[in-house]
Amino acid sequence: MNKIYGEGETVVHAVKDVSFSVKKGELLLIVGSSGSGKSTLLNMIGLLDRPTNGKILIDGIDTTNLKDDALSSFRNSRLGFVFQFSNLLSDLTVLENVLLPKKIQQNDDATDDAMKLLRTVGLEKEIHKRANKISGGQAQRVAIARALINKPLIVLADEPTGNLDSVNAETIVQLMKSMAEKLGQAFIIVTHERDQFGKVDRVITIKDGRAFEGEEPRRMEVTV
Amino acid sequence: MDYRAHLAKRMLMNKKGSLIGAVLAVSIGILVIHVNFVIFQGLYDAIVRDMKAYRFGDVYVTDESGYITKSDIALANWFERIPYVEAAAPRLDSSADINATKYGKKHEKFGVPVVGVDPFRDIRTSTIYTTVGDGQFVFARNSIVLGSIIARDLGGLQVGDDVELTFVNRWGEDQIHRFVVSGITTSAGGQGFDFSVIVHIDTLRSILDRTDETGAIMVKLNDPSKATDVKDLFLRSFPTDDFKAETIEESAESTLRGFRSGIALINLIGYFGMTSSAFAIVTIQMMIVSSKTREIGVMRAIGAKRKDILLLFIFQGIIIGAIGAAAGTALGLVYTAYAKETKLEFEGSLALEVTYNWSKIGQTALTSFALAIAASIYPAYRATKLQPMEAMRTV
Repeated sequence: MNKIYGEGETVVHAVKDVSFSVKKGELLLIVGSSGSGKSTLLNMIGLLDRPTNGKILIDGIDTTNLKDDALSSFRNSRLGFVFQFSNLLSDLTVLENVLLPKKIQQNDDATDDAMKLLRTVGLEKEIHKRANKISGGQAQRVAIARALINKPLIVLADEPTGNLDSVNAETIVQLMKSMAEKLGQAFIIVTHERDQFGKVDRVITIKDGRAFEGEEPRRMEVTV
Repeated sequence: MDYRAHLAKRMLMNKKGSLIGAVLAVSIGILVIHVNFVIFQGLYDAIVRDMKAYRFGDVYVTDESGYITKSDIALANWFERIPYVEAAAPRLDSSADINATKYGKKHEKFGVPVVGVDPFRDIRTSTIYTTVGDGQFVFARNSIVLGSIIARDLGGLQVGDDVELTFVNRWGEDQIHRFVVSGITTSAGGQGFDFSVIVHIDTLRSILDRTDETGAIMVKLNDPSKATDVKDLFLRSFPTDDFKAETIEESAESTLRGFRSGIALINLIGYFGMTSSAFAIVTIQMMIVSSKTREIGVMRAIGAKRKDILLLFIFQGIIIGAIGAAAGTALGLVYTAYAKETKLEFEGSLALEVTYNWSKIGQTALTSFALAIAASIYPAYRATKLQPMEAMRTV
């Protein structure tokens, strides 16, 4: 797929001929310097942005032509998001934030699942706190729980440790790795802090919008 | 509770300034309508009340030819046999020139309206006798009650003073008659007899040489809602006479027509005020949408559809409308109760006739509630247009 912004002389080719696949349970790291196009790529995989051309197939479904409502439903049921700034809803409590993706599905019967996830991320005692009353590290753990509540196929994390100190960053990394291992969901994590993640299943490097398999800028083989 | 309603409530509760501003906008809009209603409808109703109480009763009977020639006692008795009728009384109108000498100086007034009343029937039918603040009503044949303005213009006449009235009788002859002032009548609002004089009807008949003739019969009902029934029954019962019977609404029509247009205009201004409140809500909600851009983006990212965002902000409109309508109506009712209890008047003018018009109160509350919801549609629509990616860039 490709992503091109602007026209004529101001054209920016943010993502160029990128093609790869991710397996269930795989923890894939997308690395690259600032402005390399890795976040743009993640946003397209997360169906938050559309590619200029190309296709994104998730669970065998071509998402390219899905209408807005169908895209929303698709994101809700099959994708989980963890953002750099946790992006919790400050008006809701920790528990309500985790339950939000379920509530969007009109499912009011997920409190037990949410509690289980919050226990896993070590926040069972903070459930009634407003989201803006917890620390950045805690907020990021809540965001992970929220991303997992609907048991998505893929969890997409954009610089999940970018706003955290080293201790909290380490906690988040370990949490995501253990979740990927335990729950069998694919994790695609965009980061420029490669070292924080240690050993992962796979690494893709983005440079100038192009994707390279591994940690060296080596041209990937196009598979689709 | 629906999660969108719950979130809408939380968002508003955490933006108390915006919530208070929007609720105040709705409440003040309603309060303006209530105040307008209490003052202008109160004034209108007070005029109708006094016209009814002093001049026309619930049903007012006249004769197309000018004078009723049937016995006033017979007609009054006929009316009083109807269960809805409390009392009926005859009236006879004329005019006279008046002069009086006070402290050696002669004062004159020309063309003063004279109202002839049967005092014993009139005090059951009309409350004009209650406006006689000084002295008593015209129970004696040679007594006269002066309107306060007439008494003042005649040099400050008081009870016990003499006045001389010059009438023109039915044959065109001058008839001079002396009266003793038995009372002075004062009333607020111009519907009383401050500019007239009241005499005994039999004295007036005798002066005018209109024995057994009556100008009008005013009928007071114990159930004013039956006025049309009583009127129709009367007209059906006397088909061969030239009687004309009118309910108070018909009698007062010419006086009140202009006033009604004024009230309609004032109400219109009130509703414009309410519409301004709606614009205030649009502005406040646009500010809320703007401050919640990132949250909207997050919600969209995790799967909320455009309609969910739309509903979220419409729920905010519903909450603002409901609280604003309740608060505005409560404030309006407090003001109405105050006006009613204190018989509100402005600098000695007519005391307002304050009523609780529940259909109007409900209609005002519903209109402002609906306006608040309508006002939230545009901000809600704008919120749905935010793309998750763009929205989340707002940190």
